[in-house]
Amino acid sequence: MPLYSEAGGLPATYVPLSFADWQQRPEWPAVALANTDPVEDLAPHVGRLRLIVLDFPKFSDGRAYSQARLLRGRMGYRGELRATGGVLQDQIAFMLRCGFDSFESEQKGFGEALARARTLFSVVYQPTEDGRAPASRLRLENRPLAAD
Amino acid sequence: MPDTYFYHYDDYDRTLVSERVDQFRDQVRRRLAGELTEEQFKPLRLTNGLYLQLHAYMLRIAIPYGTLSSRQLRKLAEISRKYDRGYGHFTTRQNLQLNWIKLEDAPDALAALAEVDMHALQTSGNCIRNVTADHFAGAAADEIEDPRIWAEIVRQWSTLHPEFTFLPRKFKIAITGSPNDRAAVRVHDIGLRLWRNDTGEVGFEVIVGGGLGRTPMIGKTLREFLPKNELLAYLEATLRVYNRYGRRDNLYKARIKILVHEVGVDKMRADVEAEYAETRDGLLGLSNETIEAITRQFALPDLPPKSNLVGAVEALRLENRDFALWLKSNVAPHRVKGYAIVTASLKPVGAPPGDASAVQMEGVADIADAFSQGELRVSHEQNLIFPHVAIEDLPAVYAALGRLGFAEANVGKITDIIACPGLDYCALANARSIPVAQRISNHFSELARQHDIGDLKIKISGCINACGHHHVGHIGILGVDKNGIELYQISLGGDVDFGKTALGTILGPAVAADKVVEAVDALVATYLDTRAAGERFVDTYRRIGAQPFKERVYATV
Amino acid sequence: MAKNLSGDLQVASANRLSDGVVVWLDDAGEWTIRLDRAAVARDGRTGEILLLRARAEAFPVIDPFLVAVAEEEDGTIEPLSLREKIRASGLTFDAIAADAVRYA
Repeated sequence: MPLYSEAGGLPATYVPLSFADWQQRPEWPAVALANTDPVEDLAPHVGRLRLIVLDFPKFSDGRAYSQARLLRGRMGYRGELRATGGVLQDQIAFMLRCGFDSFESEQKGFGEALARARTLFSVVYQPTEDGRAPASRLRLENRPLAAD
Repeated sequence: MPDTYFYHYDDYDRTLVSERVDQFRDQVRRRLAGELTEEQFKPLRLTNGLYLQLHAYMLRIAIPYGTLSSRQLRKLAEISRKYDRGYGHFTTRQNLQLNWIKLEDAPDALAALAEVDMHALQTSGNCIRNVTADHFAGAAADEIEDPRIWAEIVRQWSTLHPEFTFLPRKFKIAITGSPNDRAAVRVHDIGLRLWRNDTGEVGFEVIVGGGLGRTPMIGKTLREFLPKNELLAYLEATLRVYNRYGRRDNLYKARIKILVHEVGVDKMRADVEAEYAETRDGLLGLSNETIEAITRQFALPDLPPKSNLVGAVEALRLENRDFALWLKSNVAPHRVKGYAIVTASLKPVGAPPGDASAVQMEGVADIADAFSQGELRVSHEQNLIFPHVAIEDLPAVYAALGRLGFAEANVGKITDIIACPGLDYCALANARSIPVAQRISNHFSELARQHDIGDLKIKISGCINACGHHHVGHIGILGVDKNGIELYQISLGGDVDFGKTALGTILGPAVAADKVVEAVDALVATYLDTRAAGERFVDTYRRIGAQPFKERVYATV
Repeated sequence: MAKNLSGDLQVASANRLSDGVVVWLDDAGEWTIRLDRAAVARDGRTGEILLLRARAEAFPVIDPFLVAVAEEEDGTIEPLSLREKIRASGLTFDAIAADAVRYA
């Protein structure tokens, strides 16, 4: 499946282990989780993990959004966070906000959509792992819209 | 023209809504060009409020916390004329539905809405839906605090929330700021009730896992008292637990009420509190400045106190019986002396409940400008409300509403029927709702008789999804399909009043469509024969039980 | 009096993508808003073929499906189920008009 990332992602040949296999070899730097796997278990290891793949069994199954935010926000994971499975261009903006930075997608036009995705919405209401300042904060700082 | 006394969109809000319209325009273009399949497009159009119904697309427009300016209502009338058939349907969730929208026109209709700071965002789909609130908010005499401040804060937080747009199922939040709950907070996924604790601090009781639909449940208390500025962090923790652990294997078991029911409220509370312990110190804590900035926008209009006793009103009360009845049923106490809250009944005798033509919408907007600070509310009982009317203006408002057909003195009475669109419009329905409501309304049209019967809420749904809230009707009517024939199941004893919230109990076998009026008539007759002084229909039912009602109904039909 | 109520008679229907309007597939494989022009399948096997054809022509519509119909002596057809009757002939009450101030 074609792989997209905003800049300098790991190559598709970089092989993640399934969570069960990875638990046997937790020194391996890449792991692929099902959206029911307990993401909290990665906490002691996030410093040396370089790739975590999260799965969307269907595009409408949104559990991996929460997994992504926990990895990025709560556990401070800095490596590559890849979305796989039902990954469609109209979800990119949400995925970026939750901390994903690479994507496997079969959808035509996905690369072009990824290039546009960060400019689709110039306003956000929630503080999340992408670090963008939400409208509530910009208002307090009296910052004009273009400042973000 | 008066300014509005509720949240004003600023550049941030406007930019987001207009960028969302642009995004949807591109999505519609890709769908029409065949680049998106219907399966891929459906969730995109749904989160923009666009359904496919039996005859056409339907656009469900959000009226956040039920608050609307006259200017917005005029724009809704204009949009209904230009892109639809010139009328709209006010729903039980403070939305307006247009029933005949074309997909190719939908982006233009949304752009027109954006001109008056309105949208159809998240009025459908498995996301956090349009937040509802007490329709008397900001005006009610019994209010502790205006719930719309918090509804607006929740609106912003939930809009395009990146983590919670693909939840297991839809998620509905309602907020009330009064001890007399008019927002039905115990039958929502999350209900928030503002109350004052022993130390005088105001906070939220957080109620989770209520809901109607296929498996009706009364919500349970998740947190007795939540400090107000912790609201978003607590909601985020709750939604995260639901997003991760809510069931996705069965559409009918995917609502949060099923999760709460299966794991138990204590386990749910433990999970939410554990998640919250990690979340609470994050970025979601609300600064006092933010809260104050939003609170200021919901300031009460300048209403100089006046006398409650106005000679002309009292004179008309004596000489015009219908006006006297209207004062009793459609006019509620205001927090400022000399003012009242007036409900315009969108339930004229024999009309489809909750429907208004473009001309009627414009007429209501004119009345709001002349007599209610240009402000309106939409109730979950499908009526429109003028929140700030001087008592001295009541005769003029009554006369103006009469010219629009909206002065029926029936609020809370037997013809103030809640009904979903039913099989006439809806792709999910099994049976019709509106024609049933029309027949009942026509049968009980006589006003003095309605007032003699007193408070009686009839709620009709055309299928088990319960958009007509039949579970909480004093008399609930559910349309079912049996081998191609419409039958109606009757239940008694439902209630949404706070502290008395109850689900109705099915009376017996479903009755034929042409027997529903007789059945309701038999229920009313049983009540009239057995009621004690001052007892409402539902009180009598609670006292004497179902049996006398049942015997009379099944002897009749 | 209906000539054929067996439920064997079927037409293919869908809603048009561009505006949601109810349409039926005619003999030429075009979608029409006129039920009287719909192609009628007279047995189960032909019904399956009609549905396949409808799906092949599905680009301008959404999710085609088969509707059981009855046929009158004079050849007019009408859906059997109430839901499909309503889809074919519209609301069963009068909606309020755009310029109305009162219902009915």
